[in-house]
Amino acid sequence: MAPVTMVEAIREALDEEMQRDPTVVLIGEDIGVYGGAFKATEGLLAKYGWERVIDTPISETGLIGAAIGMSYQGLRPVAEMQFIDFIACGFNQMVNFAAKSHYRWGGPVPLVVRGPCGGGVHGGPFHSQNPEMWFVHAPGLKVIYPSTAYDAKGLLKSAIRDNNPVVCLEHKFLYRRVKEELPSEEYTVPLGKLAVRRPGRDLTIATYGAMALNSLEAAEELAKEGIEAEVLDLRTLMPLDRQGIIDSVRKTNKLLVVHEDVRSGGIAGEIAATVNEQAFEDLDGPILRVTSLDTPVPFAPPLEERFLPQVADITRAARELARY
Amino acid sequence: MATKVNRATAVGETSASRLSPELLLGLYRMMVKCRMCDEKARILFRQGKYAGNFYSNVGQEAGEVGAAYSLRDDDWVAPSHRDWTSNIIKRAPLKYCFAQLYGKADSPDRGKSTPAHMGYPELHVITPASTIAAQLMIGTGVAWGLRRQGKDSVVVSFCGDGATSIGWFHEALNFAGVHQLPMIYVVQNNLWAESVPLRLQTALKNLSDRAKGHGIAGVSVDGNDILDVYEAATAAIARARNGEGPTVLECKTYRWYGHSEIDPAKYRMKEEVEEWKRKDPIPRFEKYLAEHKLLDDEQKKQVRDEITREIDEAVEFAEKSPYPAPEEALEHVWA
Ligand SMILES: Cc1ncc(C[n+]2csc(CCOP(=O)(O)OP(=O)(O)O)c2C)c(N)n1
Ligand SMILES: [Mg+2]
Repeated sequence: MAPVTMVEAIREALDEEMQRDPTVVLIGEDIGVYGGAFKATEGLLAKYGWERVIDTPISETGLIGAAIGMSYQGLRPVAEMQFIDFIACGFNQMVNFAAKSHYRWGGPVPLVVRGPCGGGVHGGPFHSQNPEMWFVHAPGLKVIYPSTAYDAKGLLKSAIRDNNPVVCLEHKFLYRRVKEELPSEEYTVPLGKLAVRRPGRDLTIATYGAMALNSLEAAEELAKEGIEAEVLDLRTLMPLDRQGIIDSVRKTNKLLVVHEDVRSGGIAGEIAATVNEQAFEDLDGPILRVTSLDTPVPFAPPLEERFLPQVADITRAARELARY
Repeated sequence: MATKVNRATAVGETSASRLSPELLLGLYRMMVKCRMCDEKARILFRQGKYAGNFYSNVGQEAGEVGAAYSLRDDDWVAPSHRDWTSNIIKRAPLKYCFAQLYGKADSPDRGKSTPAHMGYPELHVITPASTIAAQLMIGTGVAWGLRRQGKDSVVVSFCGDGATSIGWFHEALNFAGVHQLPMIYVVQNNLWAESVPLRLQTALKNLSDRAKGHGIAGVSVDGNDILDVYEAATAAIARARNGEGPTVLECKTYRWYGHSEIDPAKYRMKEEVEEWKRKDPIPRFEKYLAEHKLLDDEQKKQVRDEITREIDEAVEFAEKSPYPAPEEALEHVWA
């Protein structure tokens, strides 16, 4: 089996689920003939036809609303946002309708809304955001954010089979940069379970998305200095694998959270509160965080570089923490 | 208001005779300037001179220039992603327009936003948000504000055919209709929203018909005929200034290149592109001007030479301008 990129893994997940389950339909802008702005749906129109690969007018609130309605008719829609930033245009349907539907009248919404997020490609303020916390903060939604091709495929398949609305964030910088060989047999990755990417005894780095790669790179460097960092890839942000984080902190006694999301209101705050509540006695030092800035994502290359957390920021914070 | 479509290709017999030679040549020069700047922006992107992306307006200059050329300094423009040249038409110095592409410290936003999402506060060009159609309601609010201050300024907004599917488009028209606001909604119907053809966007034939549902004026013109656009826009602007309410002005046109510089546009038929290139608004207008003895080959060359010099200087300025310092990323979050 040849190695596949993350975006190819996503296409495989969509293809396999559509093959397996005729109720799975795709809906979005430019996903048909064009195959999606990032080619995640390439070839699927030819294979499954226009009734299952639905190209819509530009209308995020309309298409997410329609997808919710379809889900009431036994369909499992997977909606693509051309850039996840534009989910803001469908925000109402997500947080007021999809999120609350089951709670209010027992109507499950087996919907996936997926799209490219994240910076590092000079996309500027409207094509680079990490909006995960908008949705983590809306009870009723699940939020996944893979960092490997294997997880992207396995998590997306689980999300499609899940009876709840799931927001799937796909870091566009990783789409073609991570590559790996995938099992030839069918597999899924469960929602709500983190992965230990690298075991270590000295401190825990909890992270996800593109920052998982930066954190692993930092861990390599730290190892040369004799600091063994355990790197946790959260993979699902809601429901959060709190136990997995606690287990690691009990072992290392130190926690650094790294995310590309802006600092204030990022998931680091929620994780710090959880560890505070459940493992305070196990901590040997302050919980630190490395995040992007509390600003919009700027365009000019030097500004964007300053905005994004760099490997050096992670090693610096880890060294500081290791001193405790 | 009558809907005119697909007028004969001969331009402007009816009203152009009333327009002064200065104005006609001014319109011409501005179309050529927009075309040349846009082509230069594409080349620079392909040469890797700047990051991000660029959305070419080539082919659509007649609508772009015809609708905004005669705006006063105190009038406003609300452009979309494809209207970087709106800044040029509002007389922004070219050096700043190119500095914007490069994300340099001398651009109006000091590198904060992407190349094509350029605004120019002093010239009343609103910074476009990437979210399609968002600028329409913003422009409509500006129109409200202008009238509230007792001004007779107007707002010209631009959007594409695709934008007319979005709720905000309709919310803007509705609000402007209720309050008879001084708005001109120019719809540059280039037949495609990225890869989606018009027939998958709407069941309408004329996008100006969208105005009917909101009780406001709507007119469709040949968007590759500068005089047709100019005439309709001038009438709409005059009505808006007089407190007679908003207008939807559909310009039927075509974008020559891909949606953006990274789109090879394989979803379109070559024949369609060729057909529209034959309707290029610039040679069409040149023919008209030549027939009226207003333009000869010598003058054509002179116009292009002048603009080339201006562009060369602007590009040199943009390249020499420094990048903003990294710490500037933290500035300007709060007012
Ligand atoms: C809310 C939103 N959805 C999707 C996009 C992605 N997108 C950018 S331009 C575009 C097509 C716009 O088509 P149209 O309005 O016809 O303008 P044109 O590009 O043809 O000038 C799309 C879908 C976006 N920018 N904003
Ligand atoms: Mg269009």
